[in-house]
Amino acid sequence: MRINSKLLLAVTSMSLLFTATAKAELNVFACEPEYAALAQTLAPDARVYSATTAMQDPHQVQARPSLIAKMRQADLVVCAGADLEIGWLPMLQMKSANPKVRSTDKGLFFAADQIDTLDKLTQVDRSMGDVHAKGNPHLHLDPTRMLTVAQTLSAKLTEVDPENASRYAQSLSDFSQRWQAKIPQWQEQAKNLAGKKVIAYHSSFRYLFNWTGIEQVADLEPKPGLAPTSSHLASLLTRAEKGDVMAVIVASYQDERGAKWLGERANLPVLVLPMSVGGNDESKDLISLYDSLLTLLNGVK
Amino acid sequence: MSALNTRVSLLALACAVSSYSAMAEDSSLTNPSISAVLDGYYQTGDRPLAERAEGFGLGETELALSANIDEMFYGKVTAVVESHDGETELNLEEAFIQTLAMPYGLSVRAGRFLSDIGYLNNQHLHTDAFTDRPAAYRAFLGGHYFDDGIRLNYVAPTDLYWTMGVEAFKGESLRAADEHGERDFDDVGVYTALTKIGGDIGIESSWQLGLSYLRNQNGQAYAEDEHEDEAADEEGHAEHSHSASYTGENTYIADFVYKWAPNGNYKYQNLTVSGEYFRVTDIFGMEPGHILEADHEDVSTDDYHQGWYVSSVYQFSPSWSAGIRYGQIDTDEIHEDHLDPQKLKESEVSLAWHSSHFSTVRLQYTHQTGTNFDGFEDDNIFTLQYVMSLGAHGAHQF
Repeated sequence: MRINSKLLLAVTSMSLLFTATAKAELNVFACEPEYAALAQTLAPDARVYSATTAMQDPHQVQARPSLIAKMRQADLVVCAGADLEIGWLPMLQMKSANPKVRSTDKGLFFAADQIDTLDKLTQVDRSMGDVHAKGNPHLHLDPTRMLTVAQTLSAKLTEVDPENASRYAQSLSDFSQRWQAKIPQWQEQAKNLAGKKVIAYHSSFRYLFNWTGIEQVADLEPKPGLAPTSSHLASLLTRAEKGDVMAVIVASYQDERGAKWLGERANLPVLVLPMSVGGNDESKDLISLYDSLLTLLNGVK
Repeated sequence: MSALNTRVSLLALACAVSSYSAMAEDSSLTNPSISAVLDGYYQTGDRPLAERAEGFGLGETELALSANIDEMFYGKVTAVVESHDGETELNLEEAFIQTLAMPYGLSVRAGRFLSDIGYLNNQHLHTDAFTDRPAAYRAFLGGHYFDDGIRLNYVAPTDLYWTMGVEAFKGESLRAADEHGERDFDDVGVYTALTKIGGDIGIESSWQLGLSYLRNQNGQAYAEDEHEDEAADEEGHAEHSHSASYTGENTYIADFVYKWAPNGNYKYQNLTVSGEYFRVTDIFGMEPGHILEADHEDVSTDDYHQGWYVSSVYQFSPSWSAGIRYGQIDTDEIHEDHLDPQKLKESEVSLAWHSSHFSTVRLQYTHQTGTNFDGFEDDNIFTLQYVMSLGAHGAHQF
């Protein structure tokens, strides 16, 4: 009898598994957690997988077996684009042999293609460090650009899965409403930050600083992609001693050691900001991520 | 008429150039990626069967061009320039097309390409953490096995990564020695079948296991009645070639790789542990038509070559990484009608400095112990090497 009930359980769970597959829910592969969060908001029924966490540098990701397996099953791949994932996405596409997500004509979506990126370069040279001609890809921390991305992503969802068009339209309208209600609130919080000067790691918060009016006067990296060196940190210390810098800022996936060294010597607060959803305990979705970023920045004394 | 032709072709050229620059706007997938790899070294000794020789030298200087050809096909060409003993050779290491839009997780690759057997074989030499491939690769695959052929690959739609592939190759570089040039080799000499599975353990660790089988129709060496020495390996280091020195009819490879990074963030620290085991069987047989003579009875069909290695590489900062590797091969050299066992053991340590993602300067120390191994006795070898890449970011494999 016991065996039978176990067997029954096995059979039931098996059939559940099969119905889950048979239902053909939309499989979404997101390169970064911010796009996983956005995709889940816009397609609440979809099975969304994020290739990276907010603790992982999206420039340097291994094209590992689990990612190939997930991409093999994906109906839609959502990434930042602007060559942020150039070191691993092409390998995943090649190895996963999934024609559905190979081109942006079909189930591939790059957020950077939907908006105007900042810092586009007409000429790129390796001596400049690890920079991209297509501009800064960390665009998810600009509320206006993110709204445009949400609208175009919703359209892409409808294109890939037209049967659920009305659901996607509804989710987009819910999200837009909540988001647009938040924007003036965030702008209010950003008022105190305008004109403040910071030293930060990489150009990770380029978009956040752009719309809040914060000025990044120096970079912990001597060149994009290169780790801080002692001589470079020494020059930053000289810069910090001018006395006009508010804080040293690093993202949740960046090494804090250089920032701490500088912070201690220049007597500046070091702020670790969540780079994405999951970057700290407060950042559970996109809205709480923005809330947390502004609270942390405003909390600097 | 000819003036018109010139004008027309100039126009065509201008169109081609302008369409190229228009494509250059989007460089990610549609545009040819061009890259070059520079590799140079100084070394204090010779490693058996290895490509690098004592003194100053150049490793493989690589020039690669790749792009999506259209909706259906991807293509890649890799030319390799090597210099050995004052001669410069230009070789094509890769010239293949691969399908992009086949259904059901299937893909086909055709042309000249790196076989997918084992863990290291499908990776380019310049991505290695050591200056030379493990002895097992040098002995059984000629360093790395690329050839003209075709592959069919399948990736299962499962959360656990599972891929299977079959390949067929010309197999010239894996042929057994044929000193008289009389042997009738099969034109399609090598068939492989392989499978790999892999996944993550939590957020910080990833793994992959592989099993490969290689059938080499031309791999069995023949015993001859009146002959001194049939093994080709002795020339392996002096006379440069990509051919395998120890061959057999059946090769079995088991491989694993494990990677770890704190929080799964590979930027600052990460660890790679990998290992492979090779067993090459049916290495020695009778030429068809020959009658087994009494004095051949000491050659058993159970004889085999084997080799393995385990390596571990730790990147302790974005600029520094260190690796250790131990490997050995147990091979048999054919002498007339019997086999002489040989052994080579290598213990290696490497330290690398990375000025950026694209440049590496490496110091490697090898302690080798050879038993009966072509005059290679105990030795200590130091290699100082640089490997640098220009041009497009190459996406690396796991």
